[in-house]
Order: sequence, then C-alpha cells, then structure tokens
Amino acid sequence: MRVDPSYITNLVGSLDGTQASEQQLSAELSSGVSITSLSQNPVGSGENVLLLNQIQQDDSFTQSSNLVTGQLQVADSALGSVVSELTQAISLATSANNGTLNASDVQSIGNQISGILDEVQSLANTSYQGQYIFAGGKTGAAPFSTSTATSPAVTSYNGDENVNQLELPNGQKIQLNVPGGQIFLGGGANSVFGALNALVADYSSGTVNTQQAASDTAALSTALNYVSQQRVTIDNSMTQLTAASSAVTNEQTQLTTAQTDLMQADLPTISTQLSLAETQQTALEDVIAQLESTSNNLFNKLQP
Amino acid sequence: MGTINSALSVTTGALDADQEALNVVANNVANANTTGYTEETPDWQENAPIEVGGISIGDGVTETGTTSQRDRVLEERLDQQQQLASASSTRLTALNNMQALFTPDSGSSGATAGDIGSDITSFFDSFSSLESDPTNNALREQVLSSASTLAGDISGAASSLNSQSAALDQEASGVVGQVNSLTSAIAQLNLEIQSTSPDGDAGTLEDQRQQDLSQLSQLIGINQVTTENNGLSITTTSGQLLVSEGQSTQLTTGAVNGVMDFFLGGTDITADLASGGGQLGGYLTARDVDIPGALSSLDQLAYGISTSVNAQNNAGTDLDGVTGTPANPLDIFNEPAQAAGSAAAMSVVMTNPNQIAAASAGNGTGDNSNAVTMANLASRLIVNGQTPINSYSNFVSTLGATFTEVQTENTAQTASVTQLQTQNNALSSVNLNDEAAAMSTLENSYQAASQVFTLLNSIMASALNLGEETAVT
Repeated sequence: MRVDPSYITNLVGSLDGTQASEQQLSAELSSGVSITSLSQNPVGSGENVLLLNQIQQDDSFTQSSNLVTGQLQVADSALGSVVSELTQAISLATSANNGTLNASDVQSIGNQISGILDEVQSLANTSYQGQYIFAGGKTGAAPFSTSTATSPAVTSYNGDENVNQLELPNGQKIQLNVPGGQIFLGGGANSVFGALNALVADYSSGTVNTQQAASDTAALSTALNYVSQQRVTIDNSMTQLTAASSAVTNEQTQLTTAQTDLMQADLPTISTQLSLAETQQTALEDVIAQLESTSNNLFNKLQP
Repeated sequence: MGTINSALSVTTGALDADQEALNVVANNVANANTTGYTEETPDWQENAPIEVGGISIGDGVTETGTTSQRDRVLEERLDQQQQLASASSTRLTALNNMQALFTPDSGSSGATAGDIGSDITSFFDSFSSLESDPTNNALREQVLSSASTLAGDISGAASSLNSQSAALDQEASGVVGQVNSLTSAIAQLNLEIQSTSPDGDAGTLEDQRQQDLSQLSQLIGINQVTTENNGLSITTTSGQLLVSEGQSTQLTTGAVNGVMDFFLGGTDITADLASGGGQLGGYLTARDVDIPGALSSLDQLAYGISTSVNAQNNAGTDLDGVTGTPANPLDIFNEPAQAAGSAAAMSVVMTNPNQIAAASAGNGTGDNSNAVTMANLASRLIVNGQTPINSYSNFVSTLGATFTEVQTENTAQTASVTQLQTQNNALSSVNLNDEAAAMSTLENSYQAASQVFTLLNSIMASALNLGEETAVT
C-alpha cells in the first residue's frame, strides 16, 4: 500500500482550521455577540430583524403615550373647572329665581353669570403647546367667540367635528380629543353657552320672568350633566392609555429577553469550545513537531 | 574466447544499465520537491538471446528508458474536483463580502448604525409619534430625518453592491489573460508530445502538460478529451473548443451593457462560463446571479416604500392647508419610475417639514388621520406582496442561507480534492524510502556485476596465458 509522502501538509491544513476556529470563538467571547454574520444563523438573523422591529415600535409608543397623557390631563382639568363654574352658575340662578332678591341684586347675579360665561369660554379655548385642544381638527385658532349683537348673545364655534385617535401597536385606537362643538354646544338642547347666554339675558333688566328663568336654569343643569358625560370620554382614554402603556412595557421586556437570547453569546458554551480548540491545537502542533524532528526516511539510515 | 568476450560484454551491459538506473534514482531524488514532477521508474529490457551452436544464450539487459508513475484518469478526476472547489470558494468570498454589508443588529445598545431593518421601523414609528401631536414641528422634522437615514442606508448598500460587482468584473477579466497563456502552452506541448512520443507516456513533457491542465482547471471549467497520438483536446464545460491538437483559441472580453462579457471566437459564452466551474465560474455566478438578486430585493424595498409613502402624502393636507396634485406633488422621497435602480437612487426630496400631510384631505390641520394611515403602511403589503420589514427579514435570511449552502458544498468539494490529492501523491510523488531501497538494490547489483567482471577478466587472462608462464595477469 502506497503512502502520500507529503501528508504533513494536510496536518498543517488542519492546524489552520483549529486556529481559525479559536479566533472565531475568541471574537464571540470578547464582543458578547454570538451571531456576527448572517450565515452563522440565517433563520435567526431574519427573526432578529422582526424582534427588533417590535421592540422599537413598543419603545416609540411609550414615548408617544407620554406626550399624549399631558394633553389629555390638560383637557380633563379644563373640563373639571368648567363643571365647577357651571355648578356655581346654577346656584346663583337658583337664588335669583326664588323671588326674594331685589332688582339690583338680580342684575348683579346677571353680571356674575356673564363673568362665568367668559370664564367658561376661556376654558373652552384652552390651548396646549400652542394648539387649541377643543377645536376638533382646526387647532390653529381659538374656536369659541361670543357676539353681543343680539340679546341673548350668541356664542359660535369655528372648529370642526374631527376626532383624532392614537393607534396602539396592537391595532387598538384611543380617542385623543372631544370636539368643542360637541361639548359646549351639544346640539342645541344641551348647549352650555346657549343656557348661559339665555340666563344673562334673563337677569339683565333686573326683572325676572320666572317661567323663562326656571326653564333656562333647568337647561343649564342638563348641559352640566352633558359636559360631565363628555369628560368621561377623556377619562376613559387616560385609563386605556395607562393600561396600554403597561401592557406594551411588559411585551417589550419579554421581546427584549427573546432577542437577547437569540443574539448574545452563551459564555459557558463558548468557553468550553474554546478550551477544546486550544487542546486540539496544542496536540496537533506536538504531533507535527514530533514527526518532523525525527529523521524519517531510509536515506538517513543506510550506511554510506 | 568468443563466449568469454560475450560474457564480458553482457557484464559491461549490466554495469551500464545499473548506472543509468542509478541516474534515474538520482533524478527522482533531486526532483522530490518539484511541483508536478511524477516519479520515474527505469524500464529493464532483456536483450534477445543469441543462437550459438543450437544453444540459446541470453544477451544481458538494457535500460530502455523510464516510465512515469502516473494515472491519467485519477489526475483528470482531481482536475474536475478542483474546478468545483475553486468555483465554490471564489463564490463564497464574494458572498461573504455581500453579507458583510448586512451584519445583524445585536440590539444591545440602540440600533447599529446602518441597519436597514431598524431604519424601516424608525421611519414608520416617526409617523406613529406624529399621530400624538400632528402640528408639532420637532416631530415633523423627525419624520424627515428618519426618512433620510433610511434612504441613505438603502442607497449606500445598493451602491456598495454595485462596487462589488465592478470589482468582480475586473477580477474575472484578469483571469482571461492567465487562461489564454495556459491554453497556448498546452497547445504547444500537444505538438511536442505528439511528435516525440505518440505511443507512450511523454515523461517530463507530460508532467508539464498535466501541471498546466491542473492550473487551467482551477481557473475555468474544462473537459478533457484524449485524441490519437497522445494528443489532447480541451473544451469548456459546455462544449466550446479551447484547445485542439496544436491550436488554441483565445478568450476575449468585451463590454456589454456595462459589464464585461466573455467571447470565444465570436460567440458570447458568458452564461455558459458562469455555470462551468473554476474561479471564472465563481466570479461570474457571484456577479450575474448573487449580486443582481440582492439588488433586486433592495430595489423592491425602495420602490415599494417610496411610491406608497409619496402616494399617501399626496392624499392628505399639509400644515399649510395644501394638498398635493399631479402638477405640484408633495413627495417625501424622489418618485422612482420603475423598481430597477430605485435602491441606489433613493433619496429624500422634501425639505420643509410643513409639507408632511398629517391631516386627511379637506380636514383641519390638527387632524391626524393621514398620519395614522401612513404609520399603518408598515403593516400593509407594499413591497412586492410583503410588508417592508418582512421583506427585509426574508432578504437577510435568504442571503445567509445561500452562503451556508455554498459553504457546505465547498467543504465537501475541498474534502474530496484533498482525498484525490492524497491518492495522486501516493502514486506519483517521490517517496524517499522507495528511492533509498532502489538505490541500495542497484548498488548491490552493480557490485555483483563488477565482481563478475573481475572474475571474467582473470579467466580471460588465464585463457590468454594458456600453458605459458604468466605474462599477462
């Protein structure tokens, strides 16, 4: 049986192989990343892209929800103040309606209610970071203005009925605003401004038409309940947002763990493999040295 | 007397034969490390016997030449495997350069700069953020800046792929010169071999020819056909004639549609060469199959995103109340005419963040519904029937899988080459132990023959001095 006289070349080839393997493992160990190129784990690389996509989306939502929470809180707080003002207006109107006050007191109440109307209009024109939050989609200009050309005065709305929604990563939508027209002019029967303007007109002369005033006071009560209901929409959005934020944060944590498992180097396994490679390398080197050092052909042994 | 003389001449013949055989051994040992040298063994021929007085007497031995220890079939098999291994390792190098452009994002500390996957996500996320406050200038600027990053990274990757293609072009052209000089040399050797040893192995000339064939098969895929009178025809793997007897045909190159094509005679054989093997096959497969495949995926991605986002932006109203029209469009990206080339040309043309149409057409500028729709483009099938991120995810998986596939092939082919090489070496390489043993045998044989000569010489002297006191010793 004949033998390849240059088999040592093959052994040296194997030595290159073990050295390359050592380098690869050392690089993984030092960087902490196990997948440094697509070919090391093609399917894993694809999964990694999708996981990072989700994680990033969750992160982005968390930031957006912080922005939106501020706006919702301002809206909620404004409507809370409106409710207080209207409660006070109803109390004033009730006292004016019971017939125990004189004309100048009635007029004084009329003025106070007018002051409350200005206050409510100012709240209806609340702006957050330069945008009017009760204007629907037309957030560039203050939506409510009152014209005293007629008596009673008329408060008109220049916004629109647009409702903005924030879409969550899971596709759910959260309502971000309630249009001012809906809250404060509530389709005529629930109109806050309508009731306030009517009451101001009722008390302006000092003489109270009891039936009219009672009916207008009842209208203001109805309008106040209506505003409270609208406020619930904002409160619901805030609750939904909090729940969504915490769900998203949980999801982000889980996804990050999955992604880390996929990409990060498993240190114990790599250390073991590295130590094996080093052992193999040392063994190969010893064998080669041994084979080359001894005189290994017949010529050295023949007598001259 | 006559028989003593003839015995002497037989002995001297033996001494000559041994001496020539020792020369062969010495030549083998001297060439032990010469690449492509095949071990030679001396040929012994018994001389025709002589009839003397009805008796046949042998006439000694002649050394008639040498035989190279060579297996043509084994060498041809080795060449074929080298073609395959050479092609796959060249292609592997090219694929490795390609995959280096798309290193996976480890995700440990924010996105890796240049990772297209995270750019896609950031871009569509910027619209999600815009939903929360559509008139906010900082958020609008963020949309434009993430668009720029995305366009920059996609066009950067496409342009790197184009550079790699140009480099492969150059390397492939460089191979042509080497191929041509080898085919000319082989044709020349064909003529010499056919004239000097048409019936048997041509020894050193054959060594050279086999060496040239081995080098040629690493460069280009070939088929070898032995012809009469120890001749050799060489064709490419798909049958085009490269060498026939003493004639060699030169490969030429010419630019066709911006890349180098390869011609034999007047025929364009580029496609055949790509599947043929050898380094040239590897370069051409990478240049004409792998890189265009990757570019096509990137083009689809760029085209899908650019056209869909532009169309949606033109369907809404911007911060100044303007809606895009065909005559005056509100495009975010430069609108590509077709998918091919759109990756390299992808860029952001919008400079004014007010022109992002967050509101739907006709609605107030505080409306965010168009921003919602734009954010949702991320989950619509806008890139060749896939979502943008799925398209990118599949692209990187496929590229990685192609590399792994070629790597597996290459490992198997290289192992096969090693095995065949070992077999070939065992047969044809100079084994110093064998030479030492042969030398020792020949030395003994020479000593024996010279002993016989001495003996015959003294017998001759006795015969000459027959009966006389010795005057000749």
